Amino acid sequence: MDEGVAILGVGVTPLRPISPELSQRELIFEAATKAYIDAGTEPAEIHSFISISEDFHEGTSITDEYTPDQLGAILRPVHTIAGDGLQGLAAACMLIQSGIADLVAVEGHCKTSNILNHEEVFAMALDPIYERPVGVPSHAIAALEMRRYLHETGLPEEAVAGVVVKNRRNALRNPLASYGASLTVEEVQASPLLASPLRVLHTSPYADGAVVLIVASAARARRKGRKPVWIKGIGWATETPWLAERSWGRATYTVVSAQMAYRMAGISRPRKEIHFAEVDDTYAYKELQHLQALELLTPQEATELTRGGDFEGPLPVNASGGSLGMGYCFDATALYRVAEATWQIRGEAGSHQVPGARTGVVCSWRGVPTTTGGVVVLQAD
Amino acid sequence: MGIREKPTRMDQVQSWRADFPVEYLYTTGVAGERFAKTLRERGMLAATRCQRCGVTYLPPRIYCQRCFADLSESWVEVPLQGVIHTYTVVPVRATGEPSQSLEVIAYIRIDGTEGGILGRVAVSPEAVYIGMAVEGVLAPPAERRGAVTDIRYFKPILS
Ligand SMILES: [Zn+2]
Repeated sequence: MDEGVAILGVGVTPLRPISPELSQRELIFEAATKAYIDAGTEPAEIHSFISISEDFHEGTSITDEYTPDQLGAILRPVHTIAGDGLQGLAAACMLIQSGIADLVAVEGHCKTSNILNHEEVFAMALDPIYERPVGVPSHAIAALEMRRYLHETGLPEEAVAGVVVKNRRNALRNPLASYGASLTVEEVQASPLLASPLRVLHTSPYADGAVVLIVASAARARRKGRKPVWIKGIGWATETPWLAERSWGRATYTVVSAQMAYRMAGISRPRKEIHFAEVDDTYAYKELQHLQALELLTPQEATELTRGGDFEGPLPVNASGGSLGMGYCFDATALYRVAEATWQIRGEAGSHQVPGARTGVVCSWRGVPTTTGGVVVLQAD
Repeated sequence: MGIREKPTRMDQVQSWRADFPVEYLYTTGVAGERFAKTLRERGMLAATRCQRCGVTYLPPRIYCQRCFADLSESWVEVPLQGVIHTYTVVPVRATGEPSQSLEVIAYIRIDGTEGGILGRVAVSPEAVYIGMAVEGVLAPPAERRGAVTDIRYFKPILS
């Protein structure tokens, strides 16, 4: 992007299976407090606020009315995006590039533990006339994709299990992650089947959390003492809402999003120019599928990578532990991964720091039954 | 309590339980009504065809998602026959209750269309494979309601 847009501040609450100590709004307040301190600012300086939320994940309708106070956004420009976290980040870029704002707060959250009927929320997302009456569980949709993906690539199920082993091991070094574990491929493949070939351990467990990112114009980001991480390119796309039209084996939305983001970032050889990736792994096969769509690794290369150490190598993927290791937080997930990538580029990722992490990519997906996702390229100052 | 001080026991926190009691009607529309009537009266699948793109839509839509043409007068009918594009074997029902019997759920590409249908297949989990030819089994005419559930299940076509 010509003028430059940067991430100036990051605030998150640790991802946790339950969060009984704080209400949804209080979780957001905690993340926002941290983000404003990290960016060296305060709510009064923020020109516009963006909140990511989805009514059925909130348990309230017209959820956008619930946003302003805990962000310090009363009587200020606020809007809500019922979409992926990266769509919210893209909106912040547009506000800045169009000159409407110099400083924007982007907020995402989900109190997954407060949703008592995840299956019913999923069922309501399917077409009510052609799809919903068939009565298919949500994980079965992912299983249909996984089966087709393995069929088209010729990969064994163990390749998918390797992703789980790697990400949950990586999460052991991330203090924000809830599901770090030392597992073997055999243990993963011995976990119960949800819908063949998809097993319980191929699926990222839910977690509660809130994230706030402070996004700034170049002029604002270059003020003394700040640590900007530049948003070089961003893209997002939706393939189709119809189960009947989708490709099942490929992440076409990622192909389109990556083309858009790479073009904006001036990246022509992603394999050479990108040093690390935070890639959606809501279901373990998705990591392999997304890496292929990002033109970073072939399925065979990605499988090989899961076997070795994951912080050095040619392309460290999900050093954070990913959703499999950190926990899955619906549309806030993408913003957690942008936060992780920001710390990597700043050199602040602690014991899961990737050496020489100057340019990174984050790839998101909105989960079943969607074919929506985004890609953002982030770079050091 | 709050950000400065955190509880350490579940009995120190409170939650409020509530549900979302809403109901809807879904207007089936031009395409949906034609699909329902064709299935109920003739046991066939109604699809729309874009001549320009050479694409047949199932479920039918009155617009082409590729060239945006109006397809409301461009109908074809195809039989309930197709090929398993991908499948899963599900041991647990959507409600989470354990089920003794396994069932095969497949996405079936319907012959003569670019689309397809999600459905159950009456085949053993050991015998099912990608590329298997299947046909739909419909409810008896008197029991059909003009809904996708009139397709009771799919079964392998024995060649
Ligand atoms: Zn057309």
